[in-house]
This record gives sequence, C-alpha cells and structure tokens, in this order.
Amino acid sequence: MHPIETEKLTKLYGKTKALRELDFTLDEGEIMVLLGPNGSGKTTLLLILSTVLKPTSGKASVMGFDVVNQSTKVRQVLGISFQDARGFWRHKPIEILQFHATICGVPRDKRETLIEEILKDLELWDARGKLFMHLSGGQAKRLEVAKILVQRPKLAIFDEPSSQVDLRGKRIIWDHIRKLREDGSTILVATNEVREAEYLADRITILDKGVKVACNTLQSLKDSIAGGDIVELEFEAKDSKDVAEALGNLEGTFRVTKEEENHLRAYVSMAEEWVPKMTNICYQKGVKVVSVRVTEPSLDDVFLHFTGRALGATAT
Amino acid sequence: MSTILRLIWFDLKQELNPPIWIVMEWVVFGIQLTVYGALISRLVTSMADYLQFYAVGFVIMMTFEIGSHTGRHFVEHAHEGRLPYLLSLPIPRWKLFLTVALQGGVELALMLTVPLSVTLSIIGNLTPISALSAVATLFWLGFGVSGLMLGLSFIAFRSADLYTAIVTALSTMIIRFSTVLYPMIFLPASYAGAAAFSPLTYGSDLVRFFLGFDPNMLVNPQIAIAVLTALAVSTLGLSAMLMQRIVEGVKSG
Repeated sequence: MHPIETEKLTKLYGKTKALRELDFTLDEGEIMVLLGPNGSGKTTLLLILSTVLKPTSGKASVMGFDVVNQSTKVRQVLGISFQDARGFWRHKPIEILQFHATICGVPRDKRETLIEEILKDLELWDARGKLFMHLSGGQAKRLEVAKILVQRPKLAIFDEPSSQVDLRGKRIIWDHIRKLREDGSTILVATNEVREAEYLADRITILDKGVKVACNTLQSLKDSIAGGDIVELEFEAKDSKDVAEALGNLEGTFRVTKEEENHLRAYVSMAEEWVPKMTNICYQKGVKVVSVRVTEPSLDDVFLHFTGRALGATAT
Repeated sequence: MSTILRLIWFDLKQELNPPIWIVMEWVVFGIQLTVYGALISRLVTSMADYLQFYAVGFVIMMTFEIGSHTGRHFVEHAHEGRLPYLLSLPIPRWKLFLTVALQGGVELALMLTVPLSVTLSIIGNLTPISALSAVATLFWLGFGVSGLMLGLSFIAFRSADLYTAIVTALSTMIIRFSTVLYPMIFLPASYAGAAAFSPLTYGSDLVRFFLGFDPNMLVNPQIAIAVLTALAVSTLGLSAMLMQRIVEGVKSG
C-alpha cells in the first residue's frame, strides 16, 4: 500500500481541466516534490488529497482510505500546510497552534513543549502574542508550516512551504521538513522553486497543465536529458581535430563544438561515464588535457526539457 | 462533543474580546425602542400598547438578521481561507455543520439577552414558562433562518453578487410581508396572503402568543409551531446534506 495513490484523477473547474487523468503514487517515508508553474494543478491535487476538494472523476486514496468515501479517516492521518495562511485574523499564533494541536489530537502532556519548541525554532516566539492580522507575510507563512510541525501527521503535505520567507527562514523550514521525515512522516511538497525542490526531494514529479510529465530522482531526471551535461575541455596542443572527431564518435556524445584552437565543448549524456572514456582517447592520441569542467543541467533545464517551457512561465 | 465546543469557543472568545458587536446590537435595540418605538406607538391608536407589540417585532427582526449572518459568515470564511482549513481538520462534516449552526445559536443568545430581557420587562406580568416558551420559539426561528441562509450560501460559491441580491430581496420581502410589525387582522387580504408564506409571521405570532398577546389577532399557535418546526428541520437538513455532498473549499492557485 502506498501512502498516496491516484488513478485517472481528474478535476474540472467549469471547462478548465486542472487535473487530467493523473496517476500518481508516493512511497512510504519519502519526500516527494511536485514541481510545476502556477496553474499546473499542484494545489488542486493537494486539496483533493486533503479532502477539501472533490475530484470530478478518478480515484485517490491516502494511507489506503478513499478521499471521497472515507474522508474523515483520511483527515485523521494527514496534515496540510496551505499555500495561503489566512482565516484567523483576530487570533494569536500561540492560540492557533494550541487549537490545531488539540483538534488534531496531539497529546496534552507534549502539546505545550512542542509548540514552544517549534515557535522558537521558526523564530515566532516573540510574535506568539500578536494578532494574526499583524503578522508579516513571512511570519504568517511560518505559522502555517508550524501547524504541521506540531501536528506531526503520518502524511504531511506542504504547499509552497517557504514562499514569502527569507533565505534564512527557508533553510530552517526545509530542515524541519527533513526532520519530520526522519521522525517517520511521509512528505509531499508542492513548489515552483527550484532550490526548494533540489534541497528537499527524494523524487520529483513534474506537473504541467494538470498532467504528470515526469517522475524520478533529481539525478535521473537530469541524466534523462540527452546531451544535457556539458563538458568543457582545454588541451595543451592547439591542434585537437583528431580528438574532436574521436570524441564525437564516443557513446553518449550528443555533439562536439570547437570553441577555440585548443578548447572543445562536448554535449553529452551521463558525464560521469563519459569523462573516463574521453581520458582514454586523449591518452591514446597523446593529447594532454589541461582542464576539464563539467556542468550538469539545472532543474530549470529539466523542466524546460520535459515541458518545452521555462518553469517561470505560467501554465495557460 | 468536546470538539464541537472547542470549535465554537475558538471563535466565540474573539467575539467577546471585547464584545463590541454584541453591545452594538443592544445599543441599536435601545435607540430603536426608545426613539422610533416610543414615537410610533403614540401614533398607533387602534392598539392598546403598540410599544409592546413593536418590541417583540424588533426582537424577531434581530433574530432574523443574526440568523442570516450565519450564512454570510460561512461564505466569508470560505473566501478568507478559513473554510479550507476547517474542511481539512479531522472532524466529520456533520460535526462541522453542527458547529456552524450552534455557533449561530450561541451568538443569537448573546445578542438577544438584553433586548429580550427589556422586552419581557416592558410586557411584564409573565410566568417563567411563558418566558421560556418565547425564548425557545426565538431559538427555533433562529435555527430555521440560519438553515435557510446556509442553504442559500451555497449560491455564493458560484456568485457572491447573486447571493447578496437574493438575500437582500428575500429579507425585504420576508420582513415586510409578515406580522412582525403589524398584526394579521390589520393586513389587507393580498398582504395577508403573502404574510402567510413568511416564517417570521409564525415566529413573531408564536412569541406573542406565549407572552400573552390577544390570540384573536395572531395566527393559530399550533400551526405556527408546525411551520417553524418544518422550517428548522427542512432547512437545516437540506444544508447538512449540501455540506456533506457539495461543499468544497474555494480553490487557490
């Protein structure tokens, strides 16, 4: 049994298809990152899994419980940190956390200690007595995340957990999410931030216009781009024509371009396997290599490769 | 039950800190009664003491207004982002619905405490049973109105403008075409026919019946009890079903 399983999951908002026959699974104990631009269907998927929205068709289950027919049981095993922290304008952060912990069944003897610890870690302790409406955007967002860190559900869902948060705050949130996984939770994170995805993900699912276009580990996604790795070579000798031809015929070479007399650029797949072969060829041809620089594709490049659009572009 | 109480208290303690809205309702009642009620009762000569009649009518109007707030709050919560949060909590939907309805009931009780006490003291000469029966009628009416507005609030998920237009029109009709401010026997036949469809007619006349007003100018109390019961059960039942089957948090992103 997977903690999350969807089968042909579809959600329509009028004529707009937010999700299109999505098949998606999450393994126990992993951090899965849903990566996609605004409007790609990430939030809709999370809201269906947390039983806030109902699917138009298809199935979804959480820890074996159907999200439509066993929705209360689903809500007993998951917690969701929403994209927008809103709703309790006249309450104080400490009251909101106490309420959430109580309703979600956090044991009374651990509640206060846990709340204090999380508030201090997320640098909200000094703001614990302020009204929610007086918090900054970053503070409100950290409070939204804090609810789930206090709840410690079996399945924790975070929708853009560090948006509006400064760089230092982001790192603190990410470390807490990782710790939550180490403590036994399975984690699903939706984001459109490349750094967040790279820092957190065991696996990444790329969503685009409600469709799953790829799902794998970050390294496998990068490796799956033919010619995605760039290897820059500088030789001692100026005439490297023979070497360029030989490298062009190597398995895994996409193309080789000559930048200068003694400078080649090779677009290859799996640079870690290609470089030793290149070294052998150079040795055989008696060409000395002065420098080798390998550049992997970024997650932006991965997204562009799979969707044909940059991650920053809004899905339409 | 403790979950429901916690949910109610979580919001209610904010209303009471400070209880500005509640006190404002009391002030509005006081001004309305001492200025408009006192003056209009001098103009009305065909009734022994119109102020008493008017005071009950104004309490009924307050009950309607407070009950209708429940539906409006529900929609506001959806658009503010509170509804998605509540829907994600490990609480069965029926408990959540009960919480919304009961919270409306508690707010109603708090806001009506002073106006009702003043009204009862103006009327005077009451037994505890008659006073309690009047209070129970107000609650029953409040639940019915809450249920009606909650049912209508689902329109607001499609269009907030349409909801506002419908509720405004409905409020105008339900209050004006009723016996809240004038007894049935004074109404022209066409108005009386329309008033027979207003739940406030039955609410106000039943309260007046329990408070000792002349039964000859009121609708039959048994019919009033039946109508108010049908209203409360059907609208609350309909709203509960809608919440169970239809309600979704407003999508974001």
